[in-house]
Amino acid sequence: MIDFELSEDQKLAQSAMQEFAASVMRPAAQPSDRASCIEPATLSALWSTGLVQAQIDEDGGRSPVLNAIVLEELAAADATLALALAAPMAFVQAIVDQGTPQQKEQLLPLFAGDEFHAAAIACMEPQFGFDVSRLQTTAELVDGRYMLNGTKALVPFAASCSHFLVIARVGARVGDSRGDPAAAFIVPRDAKGVAVAEPRGTLGLRALQMTEVAFDGVLVPAAMRLGGEGGGDAQRLIASARAGLSAVLTGLARGVLEYVMPYTKDRVVFGTALARKQVIAFRIADMHIDIAAMRWMTWRAAWELETKQDATRSACLALTYAAERAMAIADEGVQAFGGHGYVRAHPIEMWYRNARAATLLEGCAGV
Amino acid sequence: MIDFSLTAADQRLVQLAKEEARISRTYARYYDQNEDLIEPEELPEAKDLPNRLDMLKELQSQTSGYAIAESLMQLEYADPRMRRNKSGLGDKIVAYAGTPEQKTKFAGKLLSIALTEPGAGSDPMAIRASARYDAETDEWVLNGEKIYCSQFGAADGAMVLARGPLDNGVRPFLAFVVEKGTPGLTLLGQVKKMGIRNWDTEDFVLQDCRVPAINKIDADFKKTMIVFNGTRPMIAAYALAIGRNLLEFTREKLLGSGEVLDYAGGRSGRSAIHDRLIRLEALADATRLSILHCKWAEHRDGVMTEGAKIEAATAKTMGGMAARRLTQECMEMLGPLALSEEFLAEKWFRDARIFDIFEGAGEVNRLIVARWLLGYSQKELN
Repeated sequence: MIDFELSEDQKLAQSAMQEFAASVMRPAAQPSDRASCIEPATLSALWSTGLVQAQIDEDGGRSPVLNAIVLEELAAADATLALALAAPMAFVQAIVDQGTPQQKEQLLPLFAGDEFHAAAIACMEPQFGFDVSRLQTTAELVDGRYMLNGTKALVPFAASCSHFLVIARVGARVGDSRGDPAAAFIVPRDAKGVAVAEPRGTLGLRALQMTEVAFDGVLVPAAMRLGGEGGGDAQRLIASARAGLSAVLTGLARGVLEYVMPYTKDRVVFGTALARKQVIAFRIADMHIDIAAMRWMTWRAAWELETKQDATRSACLALTYAAERAMAIADEGVQAFGGHGYVRAHPIEMWYRNARAATLLEGCAGV
Repeated sequence: MIDFSLTAADQRLVQLAKEEARISRTYARYYDQNEDLIEPEELPEAKDLPNRLDMLKELQSQTSGYAIAESLMQLEYADPRMRRNKSGLGDKIVAYAGTPEQKTKFAGKLLSIALTEPGAGSDPMAIRASARYDAETDEWVLNGEKIYCSQFGAADGAMVLARGPLDNGVRPFLAFVVEKGTPGLTLLGQVKKMGIRNWDTEDFVLQDCRVPAINKIDADFKKTMIVFNGTRPMIAAYALAIGRNLLEFTREKLLGSGEVLDYAGGRSGRSAIHDRLIRLEALADATRLSILHCKWAEHRDGVMTEGAKIEAATAKTMGGMAARRLTQECMEMLGPLALSEEFLAEKWFRDARIFDIFEGAGEVNRLIVARWLLGYSQKELN
């Protein structure tokens, strides 16, 4: 039955994460953005939330809905730091959901420790107009092993990931295999033929140090295809990533709204508070209305994943809606601050950059 | 527990609503072209179908909740209705604001609400209809012009909002039931509208119209407006349904046989038309979930709270805006053939436009949400 009620556990997790986000993540947000780097102490603090470890549920019973709730709280403080955790979360989720027993045994223990352990899904590629339906990275079966060729772009923490989960098109021969299905391959960063490029810097989400990773004739044992031979559901990974990203965008947008309201109530323009001008007040109302709708769309996608339904459509629509609205909200947020919205003394220009960046990603998160 | 599934009972009700909509659609053009006709009490096919409200009451405990299940059916809105509403906003107000005596007197009567005047729409302070008390006859004398009253053609009367005599420098809002046949009440006929022409919308004039004191309902403006907490989400549902009719029509006409929307790919892999259709579908779904959230909150907390007012304003804002965007963009995608009256597309385009205006204009609902968010009074933000 239709129900939007949070359980007691969900409420507890939500408020715990909200407190953590406000006290630990928010103060680290701008410094991380300026340095294009997350301090080890902050990474440790993120890791200590136990979120990545919590994805390894022995009974296979992790909750995508809970993850969506949590990711929103983290992103309301800072989207970059939220995604810093969401990237290894997504990797672990993929192994838990679709990994063979051998893959689980080999990889999951890496994430059980106290220290931040980077890993990421490598999905996007360095083409303008990149689309997941037109992957250029290929996996060709050669003598019982897969040979990976191609370049992935915008891989978070690529230089420190122990492993990448590479989404590639599987074909018997390299060539125009556009119709070939995609699959995911577990590749250690130090495998022969893997080259992590120097980070060039990105518009937003700077501290993720997203960069290109080239795969030049990388040989992957068949046993390291996610889910084993003929296995894996790459589309489900994409759907989960989209739901996770929607949650992050919902949080980012909410952070903008929460910052805009007190400022516009204080700022006096032509004799009255900015917030008392109808155009500003209406934009604020629209932000609230849109953020709520983004949240329900995100929860619906997460719920479909949790109940093992095909979430392709709902995840696509959740991200489509969230991306459009989050960009608009961040945009109006800058406008509400006038000149102050343009300078780095306030976080709002960072949120504008982060919104544009986050809305263009695929595969960087997961519920 | 967060859940987006429909129960079996929900689905049965939705199926019934869809079947009614399918039948209604065959009459849609006729009632669009015959706007002076009041919708019939029921369509001929009604005799073969269960009454949806009876079915809802019967299945209530097995649904997601009365308010939610009712909304799920409203989301399948079609015109004309299979069975005309037997209740209006006016009699709903009697139900929550009337004395036992009044409830008895007006039992079974369909009463519209009459608020709007030529000079008064969103702003109640502009209402000019007046009421003065005649102590000799224990009657109230009403004067004024009310316009755009929904359901008034078929109704037994209306709940009229008028300004009472000066009291401490203020003319209070008073509410009166005025029944048809009362001398001084003159009906002006069905309003000529751009769309929703099948809807019964009528104007009337009150000239020294006398009603007995018992017809005065204890409802000021605020109390009267509470009724809209329940109806705004319903109007939003209708708005979305009209938009979705046109969206589905557009998909059907533009996607070739065998062509499906690809939700798996990203935005760069789609044609312009596919991308636009997916964005509109996202908007439609987001609107639907806003409405359902509002109804879920009503199911849990009732309709009288401040929270309910904000939820209703949210749902109505989404619905009104979605109706405009969906219908305008779909017509653009369809191209010039969509202008032809051979198809219902142009009718839905005309029908949709009122939904961001009546029953709480988008601007008014945004004021409601903004005041609540910012902690401003009506004086501080208007």
